[in-house]
Amino acid sequence: MSAAVQIAVLLVFAFCAAGALCGIAIPEKRIPALLAWAGSLASGAALYAAGSVLTFGVDVRRQLWTISGLGEVTMSLDRLAALFLLLAAVVVLASSVFSAAYLKRYLGHYSLRAFNAWYLLLIASIVWILVDDDILGFLLAWEGMSITSYLLVNFEHRRRGVSRAGYLMLAMGEAGFIAVAVVLLYLSTATGAPGFSAMRGSTATLGTLARWAVFLISFLGFGVKAGLTPVNSWLPRAHPAAPANVSAILSGVILNLGIYGIVRVDFDVLPLSAIGMGIIVLLVGTASALVGILYATTESDLKALLAHSSIENMGIVVVGLGAGAVFASYGLTVFAGMAFLAAFYHLINHSLYKSLLFLGAGAVDEHAGTRDLDRLGGLIHVMPYTAAVFLAGSLSISGLPPFNGYVSEWLTLQTLLRSAEIPSTAVRVVFALCGAALALTAALAVTCFVKAFAIGFLGKSREPRAATGRDAHGLEIVPMALLAFACLLLGLLPTYVIPSLGTILQPTVPPGASSALVPPFFSSSPGHLQLPAAFVADFHNLGAQTGQRFLPGPGLVLLHRGGATNPVVFATAPFYACIAIAAFLLCAWLLVRVGTRRLKAARREVWAGGIPRLFPQMVYTATGFSNPVRVIFQAVFRPVTIEDTRQTVAVHFRTAIRRRRQDIYLADSLVFDPLGHAVMWLAGKCAAMHHGRLNAYVAYSLGFLVVVLVLFRIS
Amino acid sequence: MSFWFLHGLEKGIRTTRYPRRPDSTPGITPGRPVTTTFLSVEQALEAAANCPVGAISAVGKQAVVALPTCVHCERCRFGLPNPLEWENTYEWAQVPAGKPEPGEALPSAFARSVHIIVVDAGDCGACLREVRQLNNPFYNIHRLGAFFTATPRTADVLLVVGPVTENMRGALLKTYDAMPDPKKVMAVGSCAITGGVFGQTFASAGGVGAVLPVDLEVPGNPPPPLAILHGLLVLTGRRNPLPHQPFSVI
Amino acid sequence: MVTVPAATRRLDAVALTAVLQDKYPGAASVTPRAEGADLLIALRDIPALPSLARFLFLEAGGSFAGIIVEEWPRDWSLRYVFLLRNIGWVHVNVRTPLENTTLPSIVTGVHAADWYEREAEDLFGLNFEGHPRLGDFILHNETWQENIAPMRKRFSATQQEFKRLPDESWTPTLVVQDPGAFAMPVGPVYEGGLEESIHFLLETVGEDVVRAVPRLFYKYRAVEKMAEGRSIGDVLLLAERFAAISAFAHSLTFCQAVETVAGVELPPRAAALCELERLRHHAGAIEGICQSTALSVSEAHAAIIEEQLLRASGAFTGHRYLFGLNTPGGLRRDFEDASCRALLNSVDKAVADLNTLEQRLRFSSSFLDRLEDVGVVSPESARDLDLVGPVGRASGRRLDLRRTCPYAHYSRYVFEVPTEAEGDGYARLRVLFAEARASAGLIHQAIESLPTGEISNDLGRARFGEALAWVEAPLGGAVQWLRLDSSLNIERWRILTPSFRNWIGFHVAVEDFAFQDFPIILATFGLSAAECDR
Repeated sequence: MSAAVQIAVLLVFAFCAAGALCGIAIPEKRIPALLAWAGSLASGAALYAAGSVLTFGVDVRRQLWTISGLGEVTMSLDRLAALFLLLAAVVVLASSVFSAAYLKRYLGHYSLRAFNAWYLLLIASIVWILVDDDILGFLLAWEGMSITSYLLVNFEHRRRGVSRAGYLMLAMGEAGFIAVAVVLLYLSTATGAPGFSAMRGSTATLGTLARWAVFLISFLGFGVKAGLTPVNSWLPRAHPAAPANVSAILSGVILNLGIYGIVRVDFDVLPLSAIGMGIIVLLVGTASALVGILYATTESDLKALLAHSSIENMGIVVVGLGAGAVFASYGLTVFAGMAFLAAFYHLINHSLYKSLLFLGAGAVDEHAGTRDLDRLGGLIHVMPYTAAVFLAGSLSISGLPPFNGYVSEWLTLQTLLRSAEIPSTAVRVVFALCGAALALTAALAVTCFVKAFAIGFLGKSREPRAATGRDAHGLEIVPMALLAFACLLLGLLPTYVIPSLGTILQPTVPPGASSALVPPFFSSSPGHLQLPAAFVADFHNLGAQTGQRFLPGPGLVLLHRGGATNPVVFATAPFYACIAIAAFLLCAWLLVRVGTRRLKAARREVWAGGIPRLFPQMVYTATGFSNPVRVIFQAVFRPVTIEDTRQTVAVHFRTAIRRRRQDIYLADSLVFDPLGHAVMWLAGKCAAMHHGRLNAYVAYSLGFLVVVLVLFRIS
Repeated sequence: MSFWFLHGLEKGIRTTRYPRRPDSTPGITPGRPVTTTFLSVEQALEAAANCPVGAISAVGKQAVVALPTCVHCERCRFGLPNPLEWENTYEWAQVPAGKPEPGEALPSAFARSVHIIVVDAGDCGACLREVRQLNNPFYNIHRLGAFFTATPRTADVLLVVGPVTENMRGALLKTYDAMPDPKKVMAVGSCAITGGVFGQTFASAGGVGAVLPVDLEVPGNPPPPLAILHGLLVLTGRRNPLPHQPFSVI
Repeated sequence: MVTVPAATRRLDAVALTAVLQDKYPGAASVTPRAEGADLLIALRDIPALPSLARFLFLEAGGSFAGIIVEEWPRDWSLRYVFLLRNIGWVHVNVRTPLENTTLPSIVTGVHAADWYEREAEDLFGLNFEGHPRLGDFILHNETWQENIAPMRKRFSATQQEFKRLPDESWTPTLVVQDPGAFAMPVGPVYEGGLEESIHFLLETVGEDVVRAVPRLFYKYRAVEKMAEGRSIGDVLLLAERFAAISAFAHSLTFCQAVETVAGVELPPRAAALCELERLRHHAGAIEGICQSTALSVSEAHAAIIEEQLLRASGAFTGHRYLFGLNTPGGLRRDFEDASCRALLNSVDKAVADLNTLEQRLRFSSSFLDRLEDVGVVSPESARDLDLVGPVGRASGRRLDLRRTCPYAHYSRYVFEVPTEAEGDGYARLRVLFAEARASAGLIHQAIESLPTGEISNDLGRARFGEALAWVEAPLGGAVQWLRLDSSLNIERWRILTPSFRNWIGFHVAVEDFAFQDFPIILATFGLSAAECDR
């Protein structure tokens, strides 16, 4: 078994390398197909590997070779990494198939050979990050991932703003990498272990200060890649600048790698010990979620909107992690488990629907030539399939049943409600505030995606190019449809996913959490008899046993019972709800069909007050839709008027009015601009030292020598 | 603290008793001329010549009034040495030419719930104001189940005032098109029936009948609110209309 | 932005003549009391027209009443009518050969002349050089073909055979170019059609209206064209019925014009009815404001007052809207004492109810919130665009024709002309209430001080000729110009209405306020489309 997995992993690298090399030789117009094949085969192999590990629950570990002086190169695929690898494989598969048709637009404009090489190398480095056990390989692969993703983001380098965005991403990524490298090297030397699995057991010697330092620096370093406030300024600029298939990977996989790093270091190798650490994680997550969705709601560039929304989702994941850490610090292991389950469920969901949405945005961009929601509109008439899958993605990300976003948001909010069990009032207050903020983000997310879908796809076309033409290519729609289907499945059948996640995440997730959430109502499942009889009877009366003859597993109801102090029950059953809604809709449709058989519906044009016809300029734009949010949260946006021109003959005869306002990113203005100014100020002061006088330079050298000698003498 | 509720109660009930009982409060209707028999043919001819819109014709010693054409200029009432007789009525709704008498009313479901959309197709403002008075506490059409809607999509009756100017022709047709069946068209005011003082020119179509099929006409310039109310009752089948009165006798 | 200096010179006729000879030597000949004007300036040097107009409007502090275009067999006659306080009506007459249809525009100096020039362009085919926005004004582009010029003599009012080619490619001109700006269309059928047919295009980027352009003339009935060649009696009907809410005022203006041509003095009974119409109109306007703010009880109260005044008018005169009363020479009928007393009782009751309503509204903070500081027209804008009537007076424009050029014996009566300075919706409401009270006082004075005598004078030896007549209609000063030909039919009839003047300034009030305030601002202006469109 483990041999097959190891071979599969090696095959991944083989396919990537082969694809990259072949790309040099074959003609350019075949490269999209080559990339699709290579990427699909590689992700297929990765899927097999991850799937085997998850299904059979056996960690795989193998020492590959030893580099003299630096240690061993070890490959290790435990269940945590397998989960991330599975997600990565699914997203890469979808993106690769999508690329087969999408990349054709770059033929003749940019070098597809280069794209092919960077893309496959990116896949390889992602897989290596996940399967590698030793620190050095991890850092090398991390750098490789950073650089190849920078090269891919910078692919359309002649477009305005792309180079800047890529550069910012690289610079901040490198800053994060430095932090990560410092932490990992320190851990490696402090515990004397070269790899994660070895480090796990030998961290008892680290003191509180060391733990805090490791936590803060690793959280910040990995947080750059994960897109957490305040170090995420690169994200809303870089994700839109990249081609759509790359954006899907950036959002669906690479953000996950940041979370993977946080989980690996702060929850697996060196679990958070202080309550304060968990609170910090919780607060950072909430801030990311809130800030991300606020900017997303007021953004009218479709891909930038999705990028900000990624920040929000990562925030929610981190909220789950933080809540879990706090619960664990208080010894409430079941709740900690629930929190981690919620976080990972949301992670899975986000990868699926965000990559779906980015691929959809790419299809829209390809068809209409613009990503600006203010100029799109009416696409549903021309691109019905793309609209359908985009709608599925929008419903998922808004957290509406029966899609997957609903389940993970429900779990996260339920977990935060369980903070009632925490003894400390201050911590309870923090949880309450974070819960309220998360509820606000959920509401704003609905607003945001109503805007994205409705204004982009419904109404009248504002862009002449968008009004005609064909739908996206089949090879573009199929991966999106499969992702949408996966979203639906994960929304309908959470009761199968959660136990799997539970087994996946041991020992991070203590046992009992998943069984606390999915009680075995089906009489065929083991453990059915262990439930209290009265409880079972109540739920059987509500129909909790429905479907036990057709479906395996414990049941279809997600449920949480409060403790003795709070004996309430929170339950949700998306599957039953979906069936009930579908039945209701079917009945309604039948009634209408039968009842209005004799009536004819007349189709007339839209009533517009009697004007000759409606014009696209009269349809609501994205900016208008989100204006109330912009006005209410003005303190966050701090809009700056860039341009205010009113061409006039006289005030009365204005012929053109143009006002442009730009929002200022809060993190930039609060954190980076002052930092930047401070650095420049310091540099200015230091520049005073460069005055060109040789005597002074000699004096500097002498002074430095004296200082070193003194220090040497002291130590 | 807002005492508006109490202020509202202060005014008591002002609503007219019509349609249950006729209302003869002074000033609720301008009234209209009726066919009058004079003492001599010369007086009848003088009356006919005095009418600026040709609504009066002399038939022997009788001055016959064609009511839809009358524009209430009151010259036959105050400007003649022998004025015409005048009646203080307001139930004036009549069937247009060419329609069966009485015309088909709206189905009985609409008798207590009819929705009206008004289109101002060039009206001078008087007919429109009289229509607006239907919402005030004196007439209050809500008690009869009639409502003004904001959109033609939910309207049953299209009430048109004005002689249908060229600039409004398109909007009027679109409004009619946007209404679902069954729908009725009511032309209110002499301008909407014959073009009134404006007639048929390059800028005005000369009445709603030139543009849409009219189901009921309410003559007057302007018809008082009770006349319009009577028209609504006719359209919903609760009253019978007057038979068609021609525009001119000769 | 044109800054308007305070009119420092209140010139009288002699001084003005001297200044004009000084500024425009040889270009103009100035004649007092000619062609219906108190001062006639016949301008020979046409390129000096913009600067002369600017001088009269800005520096001499005049009010611009309008442009009267007449087509003679061989030339055009354009008459620019100004009202200067110490002189009266000043006409600037410009004549240009018929083939020359291009004239300099005066809008850069007189912004209030904007729509008059557009109207002349649409109806006569004249071209005003320098006007930034000609076209698609009265004859809407989607209904009429180009170059019809219906007011030309060669065009017959009853002709039906010219083809109307609808222009399907009409696109509204959008002014706001913000990314994400859109334009919300309102009308012409809106509020269920209970509002008059007007189209607004509200350009916005979300919350505030950045630019609002009213598009009128959906009710254009070509009344001026129809009057040509008709008898006085027929045109009197037209004068009454083109705008019914100020029917008495407009018919009174027409009768005064005819009387001025005939040289007859008007008997004094008209003032009472004029003020009755004003009182009823203001009650209706107050009802409109209360309805727009959705304060239903106050709307019902105002509606009760208006209906009671309508019934009082109907009982007193026989017609609720005072149709059929005016005739050249006086009134068509007389009124008995008993009915005069009944009328005075109704008026007193109505004013008492209005006072109560005003007191109650003053203490309704939710109502005032919707009106205060909403729809502000600054005094500078009001002066710049020459707004008249209650709208103008609420922004500090102290112009009332009953005071400035009294007619119908108004000089005998004592009354107040209320003025406010804020120019917001609440100021306009206060002006309406104050004017209603003043009207009631005037009705009392007019009826109680009636001398016995003729109700109407014979027109006597009527002559042909021209005349200007004016009346302070409920919405502001209305001016009419009349030319009778030798058989006493109308040769040219020009109507300059207050709504036409005030609609120019409506967009100033709406811009930079929220969408939700738009219907309220519309109601506080209370303008009439029928009066504007004619």
